[in-house]
Amino acid sequence: MAEPDWDRMMQAAQAGDADSYRRLLGEVGAWLRRYYHRRLPPAMVDDAVQDTLLAVHEKRHTYDPARPFGAWLGAIARYKWIDRLRAMKSHPSVELDENLPVPGHEEAVSSAVSLERLLAELKPAQADVIRLVKLQGFSIMEASHRTGQTMSLVKVNIHRGLARLSAMIRSRNDAG
Amino acid sequence: MPDELLPDDLLIDRLAADLKPVRPRTNGRDGLLVGALCILELALFLLTGAMRPDMPVAMHHPSFWWKLTSLGLIAAVSGTASVVSFHPAGSPRRGIRWVLAIVLACLAVGWGLDSGRAGWAALDARLDWRHGVQCLVKMLLLALPAVAGLAVLMRRGAPTDRSGTAWSVGIAAAAWGAFVFVFACPSDDPLYIAFWYMLACLSVAVVSRLLLPVLARW
Repeated sequence: MAEPDWDRMMQAAQAGDADSYRRLLGEVGAWLRRYYHRRLPPAMVDDAVQDTLLAVHEKRHTYDPARPFGAWLGAIARYKWIDRLRAMKSHPSVELDENLPVPGHEEAVSSAVSLERLLAELKPAQADVIRLVKLQGFSIMEASHRTGQTMSLVKVNIHRGLARLSAMIRSRNDAG
Repeated sequence: MPDELLPDDLLIDRLAADLKPVRPRTNGRDGLLVGALCILELALFLLTGAMRPDMPVAMHHPSFWWKLTSLGLIAAVSGTASVVSFHPAGSPRRGIRWVLAIVLACLAVGWGLDSGRAGWAALDARLDWRHGVQCLVKMLLLALPAVAGLAVLMRRGAPTDRSGTAWSVGIAAAAWGAFVFVFACPSDDPLYIAFWYMLACLSVAVVSRLLLPVLARW
């Protein structure tokens, strides 16, 4: 996934070369944007990209020059992805993005496809309520009416479904 | 998480302006630091005269070597798994599975060593509650330096499986604390050792699992 130069640029950055670092972060930022567009609702992408860039900065000393930069970056991106999924549990819903169809339409579609693929691995009752509440912005009560589940069950299924998603992601060595 | 979203370019400019040279972390250096801390603790412990007075006799008991090698092996494997998992791409899970297999194997060997003893009738006397609690407290205290050292390295590193790493750190530190205590522990009864040592190790591991993921959040 990584450009061959990334290893070299990161080594230069660890030595204090700000120009290499700026160039590297620019390329990494673009890569992260593509990465999260395939894995998160569009409204969460900007935050995830910047959070990961900050993590890359804070933890740059943990990059071992003897090992590939791509694996290091991929592991951090995945960790922050799981963080976002966990955060979805504590927020009522993801804000609906009014500009969804405008410039990022293609990426939004691919995001939906990837999320859909992940959701398909959950129990239907869990996937249904996550789609309704977390992705489409319905309230717990509305989701309860639509699915026939009690409100408590909707909450339980969201919680368990998101936990299951996190576990599925962690168990896969998905760096790309 | 950024409090307020900036354009990516502005954030990148700020991060680049804040750049300072760093010394890359390596598993080898972290391993050496932990190893040095543990050896220092053992040396200080022995220098205080805490070693059991009948050590020459104890060294003839298979159960002495059983507890020493078992705990040393568990500490080494879980310590290695911990240090490996401080790198974002490293996982502690395989190491933890190995540790569980080693614990089961060690318990099986202990069971074999115990088969020649009087049996379960004298359970209360063999577990010796009063001394057992004292041993438990000493093992907990002896685990503290390793917990602290590994926790600092965990916080400085970038573990991406914080709960797994916390388990691994807790098991490693607990096993090391128990390893050091072997040199002072007057009991060579496999039942006593299996019960009290496992209780001490479990206690440290559970507390680590509860605290370290919070302390090492990033």
